[in-house]
Amino acid sequence: MVDTGLLNRVMFVEIALLVLAVVIYFSHGLWLFLNQRRLRRSTETARESLARLVTRGTIVVEDIALLRQLRHDVQENVFLEISRSLTGAGKERLRFVAQEVSLLTRARKLCESGSWTRRLRGTRVLSRMDVADPMVAKLLADPHPAVRAQAAEWAAIQPSLPIISTMLTMLADPATQARFAVQDALLRMGGIVAEPLAAFLETHSGLPAEAGLRVAGALAATGFRPAAMRLSGSDDAGVRIEASNLLGAIGDAPSAERLTELLKDSDSRVRSAAARGLGRMQHWQAASQLAEGLRDAAWHVRRDAGLALRSIGAPGALFLRRALKGDDAFAADMAQLVLDLPEAAAAG
Amino acid sequence: MSESLGISGNQLLIGGQFVVVAYFLVVNGWYMLLLVSSLLEMRRHMLLIADESRHLLLSSTLSPTISILAPAFNEEATIEGSLRALLALQYPNLELIVISDGSKDKTVQVLIERFDLVPVKTIYEQRVKTKAVRSLYRSSTYPALVVVDKENGGKADALNVGLSFAKGELVCAMDADTLIEADGLQRMVRPFLYATDVVATGGTIRVVNGSEVKFGRVVRTRVPTNALAGIQVVEYLRAFLFGRLGWNRLGGNIIISGAFGLFRRESVLSAGGYLHDTVGEDMELVLRLKRLSYERGGPGRIAFVPDPVAWTEVPESLKVLGRQRDRWHRGLADVLWRHRRMALNPRYGVTGLVVYPYYAFVELLAPVFEAVGLISLSFGLFLGIVDWNFAALFYLTAYGLGTALTAFTLILEDISFHRYDTFRDRTLLLSWALLENFGYRQITVYWRLRGLWKFLRGKKDWGTMERKGFKPLAAPTSGA
Repeated sequence: MVDTGLLNRVMFVEIALLVLAVVIYFSHGLWLFLNQRRLRRSTETARESLARLVTRGTIVVEDIALLRQLRHDVQENVFLEISRSLTGAGKERLRFVAQEVSLLTRARKLCESGSWTRRLRGTRVLSRMDVADPMVAKLLADPHPAVRAQAAEWAAIQPSLPIISTMLTMLADPATQARFAVQDALLRMGGIVAEPLAAFLETHSGLPAEAGLRVAGALAATGFRPAAMRLSGSDDAGVRIEASNLLGAIGDAPSAERLTELLKDSDSRVRSAAARGLGRMQHWQAASQLAEGLRDAAWHVRRDAGLALRSIGAPGALFLRRALKGDDAFAADMAQLVLDLPEAAAAG
Repeated sequence: MSESLGISGNQLLIGGQFVVVAYFLVVNGWYMLLLVSSLLEMRRHMLLIADESRHLLLSSTLSPTISILAPAFNEEATIEGSLRALLALQYPNLELIVISDGSKDKTVQVLIERFDLVPVKTIYEQRVKTKAVRSLYRSSTYPALVVVDKENGGKADALNVGLSFAKGELVCAMDADTLIEADGLQRMVRPFLYATDVVATGGTIRVVNGSEVKFGRVVRTRVPTNALAGIQVVEYLRAFLFGRLGWNRLGGNIIISGAFGLFRRESVLSAGGYLHDTVGEDMELVLRLKRLSYERGGPGRIAFVPDPVAWTEVPESLKVLGRQRDRWHRGLADVLWRHRRMALNPRYGVTGLVVYPYYAFVELLAPVFEAVGLISLSFGLFLGIVDWNFAALFYLTAYGLGTALTAFTLILEDISFHRYDTFRDRTLLLSWALLENFGYRQITVYWRLRGLWKFLRGKKDWGTMERKGFKPLAAPTSGA
């Protein structure tokens, strides 16, 4: 018969691993159960105390003491939970209490930590509590993108010219996560961003310009026009697309003139964006150039030119009908498709 | 009897046994590496998402538009509930495209009546050849809902039609009866916001059997008491929580479940869309995207995000489960065969040198090794070459480490999401993890071998999936 010594040894190790896993699994389950039961009680009491402190506006020493005694993670959760539904004076009182129970001091300490996860946690607390702390502004330059993104989220509610200026430089952030957060934060800041952003766009190109143009496109202020005009001549097709979108959103006569020129751009996505922009502003003067777009080699340019003609109204419809009888079968097909569309679909 | 085989025959049989055990140990050793990798990845992920504020993403005009593609075939009984749940998903820029793939029942009529659909026309570019579209509808109550009625062409064809109509930068491919958690898309879209080289993301699929469902949402998670469904809960946890998450860190994800996956639309269209003539169209697409990224030099990262959860109903009958597993294995064989040029080819980096050989050696050939081990063990016992002690030791050694790893997967679930948090659920899960070694694993070996055999014979049928339907919450008593 076979020597089963090796198999025995292997099986022994496996059984030991299995037993260990089962013990950990059930012990963790038991710990979770007991912990949740204990925390449920203290969390409920803490919520009541905090709600009293925030709504009444008077300081009850016992409540503060109770909150101070809480486990740090529970304390943090209770404060962050209530902070979501508070603004103005209520939030101000919440911040006061948070300071009293040392939550904000701890968060500031976390922001100085060498570990990015701790810095992220600290930034999240200060950000949710809307604390105007220069410490968070410094974290806009943190080495970890998640921390930078969180600091950008904080910046959205602390709009000031120095912060906006830092945020604009972050449009060149190599991390997409941070860049997205910055773009979103700039948008949330609203009109205050328009002037510095316009100045930024006038002097920048490439990726930061493209990211900035996206924000500008959503704000659509006429002050962006000079920069949009300049950037619409960029070597980078991505920048030209966003510049076209912005010009379409601005929608004044000089923008329309530039968009008409962009219908002849070498990149089909730029031609498409230009056609969409002209259609959006119902610029009937560009109808003949848009009709040329019906003969474009790229399908999406033909579609966008057709839809733009349709949205222009009678002059556009005239060109579409003319294309039906033209020598270009692709243009005729697209014109037919566009003319067949019901009113709502064409407008959409 | 053993004498008739001769000494060399005996040695061959015993040697074969050791080869099989060695195979199991190598495979489980690799699984251990994946488990460690998934633990590290899970830790990193949990730190990143702890108390994150997705409400910003939810209200941002910069969030990318997602078009959900939901192919439906004869789903008149469940389609309304599924769609209402999808329409309630929390995501700002959402479009929902239901593709009725030549349904023979009243799927389209039900949709027209319940969602106030009106016929519309639109201009779309057909970049992938598909079966003809009969009609197109848009809901006047929910403008984001578009229904395409087309001729039957299979799931891949339906998804390709959806791709043509989709306006979103990202498309979410799913089964019409998959239940996605309300914030699932917000979680799933993260990798696209964090990196520009991501082409697809997948989320965790969990088993809904046994849990309670209300208005298309799982409101109470429970481990099923049905053994077949229960064992599949364990299998799904293992596949997603340590398989795919582990590969995430090693850069080798090549599977995104067809029940719930998010793709960059332009990348899928550039790659030619879904293939019709394969039963593993979801894996095939992902591997093709990956391959093309090496060949053309574009983006090609496949990311797995463990927290967005979609729920699916698993078969509770051996017949249906057998057909499913047979199809999955045929699909795997077919996909690996189609992309065989990637095997051990340094041009394809980690995918060619590590991932492909893993899938071929570990996933595809596992049933062959397992079958050889089991058959030779039975032979050995029958011929008296091995005794019962050896047989028992061999069996326990071969399956023991796998079971221990499964138990560690349960711990991973417990320390991260702990969806199964009652003592009953824990005990059941562990029981199913132990029980799967006695009968279930062996029968799946048979199904997978059958799939392999069918692949070699060139069979490409899908088989049918029968569903029992979700378990609703008990209706409230009237008069209260």
